[in-house]
Amino acid sequence: MTVVVRADRLTKFYGPSRGIVDASFEVEAGEVFGFLGPNGAGKSTTIRLMLDLIRPTRGQIELFGLDPRANGLEIRRRVGYVPGDLRLYERLTALDLLRYFAHVRGMRDLGAAPRLVERLELELDRPIRSLSKGNRQKVGLVQALMHEPELLVLDEPTSGLDPLVQQTFEELLRQATGEGRTVFLSSHMLAEVQRVADRVALVREGRIELVEEVETLRRRAFTRVQVSFAEPPPEDAFSAVQGVRELERRGGSVLFMLEGSADPLVKALAQHHVLSLDVHEADLEDIFLSRYRSESPHAA
Amino acid sequence: MLRNVFLKSLRDLRRGFVWWSVGLAGMSAMMVSVYPSVRDNAALNKLVQDYPDALKGFFGFGGELDYTSAAGYLGVELFSLVVPLLLLIAAIATGSGAIAGEEDRDTLDLLLSLPVSRTRLVLEKLGALVAEVLGLGFVVWLSLWIGALAVGMEIGAAKLAAATVDAVALAVAYGAIALLAGCVTGKRGLAIGITAAAAVAAYLVNSLAPLVGALDAVKQLSPFYHYAIQNPLRAGLDPFHVLVLLAIAATAAAASVLAFRRRDLG
Repeated sequence: MTVVVRADRLTKFYGPSRGIVDASFEVEAGEVFGFLGPNGAGKSTTIRLMLDLIRPTRGQIELFGLDPRANGLEIRRRVGYVPGDLRLYERLTALDLLRYFAHVRGMRDLGAAPRLVERLELELDRPIRSLSKGNRQKVGLVQALMHEPELLVLDEPTSGLDPLVQQTFEELLRQATGEGRTVFLSSHMLAEVQRVADRVALVREGRIELVEEVETLRRRAFTRVQVSFAEPPPEDAFSAVQGVRELERRGGSVLFMLEGSADPLVKALAQHHVLSLDVHEADLEDIFLSRYRSESPHAA
Repeated sequence: MLRNVFLKSLRDLRRGFVWWSVGLAGMSAMMVSVYPSVRDNAALNKLVQDYPDALKGFFGFGGELDYTSAAGYLGVELFSLVVPLLLLIAAIATGSGAIAGEEDRDTLDLLLSLPVSRTRLVLEKLGALVAEVLGLGFVVWLSLWIGALAVGMEIGAAKLAAATVDAVALAVAYGAIALLAGCVTGKRGLAIGITAAAAVAAYLVNSLAPLVGALDAVKQLSPFYHYAIQNPLRAGLDPFHVLVLLAIAATAAAASVLAFRRRDLG
């Protein structure tokens, strides 16, 4: 696999709470790499290091095997970027902004922009200052995609997008990776990353906690099973069942955490009068939350 | 107007340029139109003649204070302070905003995510600044020349052009200093403050030099000295002093590039 982005002990001390420490990861060609973490975790710092907007304190980052400082122009020709705090030229119309960026990029026309504009149903002839947050975000996406870059760097790209547009956006991402493009997607929204990413890095307080395939995480995950009983079962009724842990009990309603096969729990439940059964497949949120709980007992 | 950063920057300046032009042209026309009555006011001229030399140096331009000739009048009323001051304000506003303005408004990240180098960005912004100040200088020159013809002032287009070019060179130097302050700090307001304070200090050093011995020794450090000493309305441009002003601008521009290339943005 070709490595598109490689960070090696990348470190940036930057302001009191921001920054990134010893981040090492690789993003492979054609994948959607989710960069997940709460606000202030160091996601934007990492992205801004990739684009040579800021320089590392130590460690390295490479895009396409090139150093952002020495080969910034070459890299930025091949990258499309949507900043986290997207600010556009308020007085320009969306069309003028796209024209300007296309010129600065040395494009002969607007490239893929007309197609994207149609797909996103973006109004081009209004000044940007009169556009809603969602429409500005669309302009941001179009300018990042119009030159059909090899690498898309998206910092919280869907904030402000309504669910329908978000769906279109996710289709665009799938299409991009289908064409061999690579996506680096930072987000604080687990659900979004889970839907679109192939692999995910979890960032917290400037450190990368883990890098894992979304599929693997999901397989490793627990399932939550919510059961309503006609009568509250005895306290220890399920304590011996393999792979099952009782999380919560409210009268006749019990929430279990299930790991592995569901069979032992089903057999055990058969001994009782069950009114209803609700099974949730765990999402990344559960995985991360359980991870945080197990590793940092003092947190929340 | 959106083909590159230079043209886009000019486009952003166009509205301000129109208002500056109206103001500068109006002021120039007004000053010229009252010249005949000032020239013929014997009492005023007698009073001014009797000023001590030090005061003449302070208020005057090119070492003289004289309302009875076109060159003397325009020097005192326009080129000693008002014209360079207004051009300076315009240049500092543009220079400080060139980089730091985009940074303040958070548009710089996106612009620099395009394949444009920081050096090129600074130079194209500087180009727009120079073009703006040259344009405003042209407006001043044109309105003075037309006004001079209208009221029969005895001064030629060349001498008016010399004085205007002198003021443009001074303004470009301060615009470049404001650009530098913006490139170093990333904050437009701060860049304006620093440059304005430096300009006021330099102006006072040169103006007070005839009165204060200590300042007389350092007056050559003031760009205003090199601006005013030429007396361009009578003598035309002095290449040496114009070059000093342009060297200040070039040095500030080069330092802007170096500072901006090194800095973490945002």
